[in-house]
Amino acid sequence: MTLLPQKIADVIGIDSVFVDIFAAIIGAGLVGTLILIQSALAGPWAKRKITAAFTDRISVNKFGPLGVGIIIPDAVRLISKELIVPEGVDRPAWDIAPIILASSALLGFAVIPMGSLGPVNFQLADPEVGLVFVFAVASIASIALVMAGYASNNKYSFLGGLRAVAQNLAYEIPLIVVGISVVLFSGSLRTSEIVAAQQETLFELGPLAIPSWFAILNPFAFFLFLVANMAEVGRNPFDIPEAPTEIVAGHQTEYSSVYFVLLYLGEFVHIFLGGAIVATVFLGGPAGPVLPGLVWFLIKIWAMFLLTQWLRSAVPRVRIDQLIEIGWKGLLVLAFFNLFLTAGLVGVFAA
Amino acid sequence: MSLEQPQRPDVGVTPDGELNYDELAELLDGHVIDREQHENAEGFVIRPDEVSTVLQTLKQEAGFDHLSLVTSQEYQDRYESIYHLKKYKDPTQELSLVVPTTRDDPVSQSAASVFDTADWHEREAYDLVGIEYEDHPDLRRILLPETWQGHPLSKDYNQDQPQIVPLREHADPMEHRTEVPEEQDTMFINIGPHHPATHGVLHLKTVLDGEQVVDVDPDVGYLHRCEEQMCQQSTYRHQIMPYPDRWDYISAGMLNEWSYARAAEDLADVDVPDYAQIIRTMSAEMSRIAAHLLAVGTFALDIYGDFTAIFMYAITDREKVQNLLEDLSGQRLMFNYFRLGGVAWDLPEPRAEFFENVRSFCEYIPERLEEYHNLLTSNELFQSRVIDTGVLPTDVAKDYGATGPVARGSGVDYDLRRDDPYGYYDELEFDVITDDGCDNFSRAYVRLEEMRQSARIIEQCVDLLEDWPEDERDIQANVPRTLKPEPDTEVYRAVEGAKGELGIYIRSDGTDKPARFKIRSPSYCNLQTLEVMAEGEYVPDMVAALGSLDIVLGEVDR
Amino acid sequence: MSKEQELHDTLEQAQTTQEARMGSATDERFNSRLRQAFGSSPFILTKLDKFMNWVRGNSMFILLFGIACCSIEMMHTYAAKHDLDRFGAGVPRASPRQADVIIVPGTIVSKFGPRLKRVYDQMPEPKFVVSMGSCTVSGGPFQEGYNVIKGAEEIIPCDIHVPGCPPRPEALVYGVLKLQEQIRNGESAPVTVKPYELEQFGDLEPDELVKELATEINEDDLVMRYNWVDSP
Repeated sequence: MTLLPQKIADVIGIDSVFVDIFAAIIGAGLVGTLILIQSALAGPWAKRKITAAFTDRISVNKFGPLGVGIIIPDAVRLISKELIVPEGVDRPAWDIAPIILASSALLGFAVIPMGSLGPVNFQLADPEVGLVFVFAVASIASIALVMAGYASNNKYSFLGGLRAVAQNLAYEIPLIVVGISVVLFSGSLRTSEIVAAQQETLFELGPLAIPSWFAILNPFAFFLFLVANMAEVGRNPFDIPEAPTEIVAGHQTEYSSVYFVLLYLGEFVHIFLGGAIVATVFLGGPAGPVLPGLVWFLIKIWAMFLLTQWLRSAVPRVRIDQLIEIGWKGLLVLAFFNLFLTAGLVGVFAA
Repeated sequence: MSLEQPQRPDVGVTPDGELNYDELAELLDGHVIDREQHENAEGFVIRPDEVSTVLQTLKQEAGFDHLSLVTSQEYQDRYESIYHLKKYKDPTQELSLVVPTTRDDPVSQSAASVFDTADWHEREAYDLVGIEYEDHPDLRRILLPETWQGHPLSKDYNQDQPQIVPLREHADPMEHRTEVPEEQDTMFINIGPHHPATHGVLHLKTVLDGEQVVDVDPDVGYLHRCEEQMCQQSTYRHQIMPYPDRWDYISAGMLNEWSYARAAEDLADVDVPDYAQIIRTMSAEMSRIAAHLLAVGTFALDIYGDFTAIFMYAITDREKVQNLLEDLSGQRLMFNYFRLGGVAWDLPEPRAEFFENVRSFCEYIPERLEEYHNLLTSNELFQSRVIDTGVLPTDVAKDYGATGPVARGSGVDYDLRRDDPYGYYDELEFDVITDDGCDNFSRAYVRLEEMRQSARIIEQCVDLLEDWPEDERDIQANVPRTLKPEPDTEVYRAVEGAKGELGIYIRSDGTDKPARFKIRSPSYCNLQTLEVMAEGEYVPDMVAALGSLDIVLGEVDR
Repeated sequence: MSKEQELHDTLEQAQTTQEARMGSATDERFNSRLRQAFGSSPFILTKLDKFMNWVRGNSMFILLFGIACCSIEMMHTYAAKHDLDRFGAGVPRASPRQADVIIVPGTIVSKFGPRLKRVYDQMPEPKFVVSMGSCTVSGGPFQEGYNVIKGAEEIIPCDIHVPGCPPRPEALVYGVLKLQEQIRNGESAPVTVKPYELEQFGDLEPDELVKELATEINEDDLVMRYNWVDSP
């Protein structure tokens, strides 16, 4: 399948390095916009509507269908607010942190196969090390959180930053180890090949052909991955770095205006990236009947978003020491167990 | 329990459970200078330098293990501190220790070495009245800013003088305790007064070692609205009644009103008709449900973060009980429904409809409790967060004068509705819920189960009210329009409020306004235990402990 | 003195005090630097202003801020039955840096005054204040207390007053709607002189009280001086 920048370059039809670069930028812009639209929908609107549905409320309903028009006033207002730079913040770290957070999450989407819409295949790049790249950029976010927390010159932010590091250390490793078990199945780190490996039919259930999604092949790994992913994106029960009732707003406490928008948006992009990884690795990427691939991909990442919101409404936050215990003593052990189990199974089947 | 030693009877108690004051006076052997008659108990006058000895004897020998309140007041010729003593096993056995000091040298010995709870009570007395306590561990202002001039409840206080209040960073109290300041690795952090976890405007001066709490010092007084002064400026008959609503403002208004009504009715010798007592009992229990619902909701808020489902469910259920209370009193939050000698008006017409609404609410509460138990107490994540955190051992709870669900969650079987019955409670059937867990979980659990009991009480009240003969529906006793109790009558009476023992001390001076009006706020005493609960715990557990204490700042600061 | 002259004098006096109270003519609460750069108001900026007012009037984050009794009714206003979020004003933020509106729900006492001012100062412009309940309007039932500030407006400027003790949730919803309407119309509350400001202790006039406290308070400490006699 041709990648998106290639396709754009083909459409332009001039064979030149500059055109390639231009096409890459256009492609990146397209994908970036697509994802930002999702986050913009999620941040000011979907999150409120979903939470409201859980708590028997209506929430915004004044502009547009279901009040979706609130996005415009919300976004413009947030951006147009006064940007307060508190005394004693550590610049430029304080300024860079929100940008890193937002962009690191966006970068991850570069290698995610988002399926096709008509003739266009939405994937920017397909490197050999795709999966590793996604995990790598996704975890840059924790550096941004630490920077934000440390540079803010606020004790609550500082605590939030420290919690973010502890949490990420505890969860990154199980997450990747579980990810590796999938690589054993597919035999490649290339995201497109991971997706392709899930397209075969596993078995037939009457008229339904059950695909060999890794979530179905190995539900145990899927569950571990979901838990670790929830910690990775920092949502309940693992929203410890933010923990509104304990440390105000954690690393975000001192940010206002544009920077706050970047942090807020970055978090939602991060949730969607988490959803995209789950979809790619366990749910067959953009695969699905009837509808175009891109639509299925969006449905899957929104389903993951819904899951985060559901947990947020219903599950208590664990304590930081409990979280680290779950991470190091529970998940890590289970992740390695899962890895050996998978390796054994794959070996047996291969033989 | 065969291993347990047979209980030695306390000195000064007759076989039928009455107090023998002569025997008590004998026990104190010469320490008693004089004996006074208060409406609720006898008062022993003792010398200001013998306070801790006398209290120690009374605590050890006579079993007075509950220092309910320390009242301080200024007379024309002297200052006076009154220690209101009770027993946890039988709160009807009361004794007041009256400690007069001279006007020139208002120094009295501190009781903090005997009862931990005296610490804050005496600080308050020092702050508002100006009595100084010798050997007090930490005698500084508590409700007013440190730079305040004068003691506002003393006689020569000029309310119009200007005051200066600084906004300064509080110093780390650990800084001068560590020997090598450079190597200090603790962090001082101000939690509050504006912080989402403090349920209002509480300020916690906290020292953290990493995530662990090394030291926490609650700083109260950010909502000190001079409630006692307001009540002292108002007349007994009508003007005081609206203020109690605003102490514990979490819809517990009826319970607070009752505390004033009970004290004032004892003071002025007013008998309340049974019919009014039943209405009082019913409305008070509705208030308790509303208050406990919010307590559970905000506790969940502290553990879950953000405005999540449980909090919203609790608020939704509160709307239901508030609707009932509004039907009854005309107000959603500040009811002002009690009157001295009864209630303001009869049940709303049509009565059948009101009864039906109340009944369906009583049936609804146990159903909802199942849901709350599913969401909270049987949720494993929730359990892992709250079980064995914020531990408050039974003895410590007693020493700090903890009452209400906080004490009952620590295994102290103490409920004034049963132990010192008032209203119509002694005719009704209900259980006092206690739990031996002593942790955050127990306190939340006790609150949830108390709602079930309250619903039971309400149902019984409705049964009684429905069958009440129409011509005997007296809602108020005949109380004179201006109430002037006998001069120098003193009374201390408590009711079981939503947070615990809510007591009122009134001294009359023959006018239609009280000479001294002192509020025993349960939250104030319960909040003192936070230090015990939080030290050594993690920050989230401290927040949970604070949530489980269920303090209301309006009642803490008054 | 003739009656007309008298009337004239009073009017003039009123105007001068108003000017003194309002400060400079431009209202700094809306970002108007761009307009200053352009001189007068060109068409496009007027439209932009209208758009911005519409934006600000339709969406607001509210500071999670509870003081006293009214905060209970405030919670009810956020929650299921009344649902303030229908009007785009139901997202509570715990940090003042991210809030547009502060609802002041309760009695302000002397100890809390400086903190309220500090919280208000920490909010980014444009910010709006809803003073909820009688206590924040005038001190309410506690007005005569030795420790109670006679209304939040002594300390911070208030845009909307919602009286009541406490106001019903419907009243608060109405108050917020009125505030939104006001913002949409580009009106803002006049910035009046506040009697109680945070100032450095060293800047106070060295009267008796200041001298007495000189040993306790640093010169650089911010203090708030309450002159109870002058309170309305």
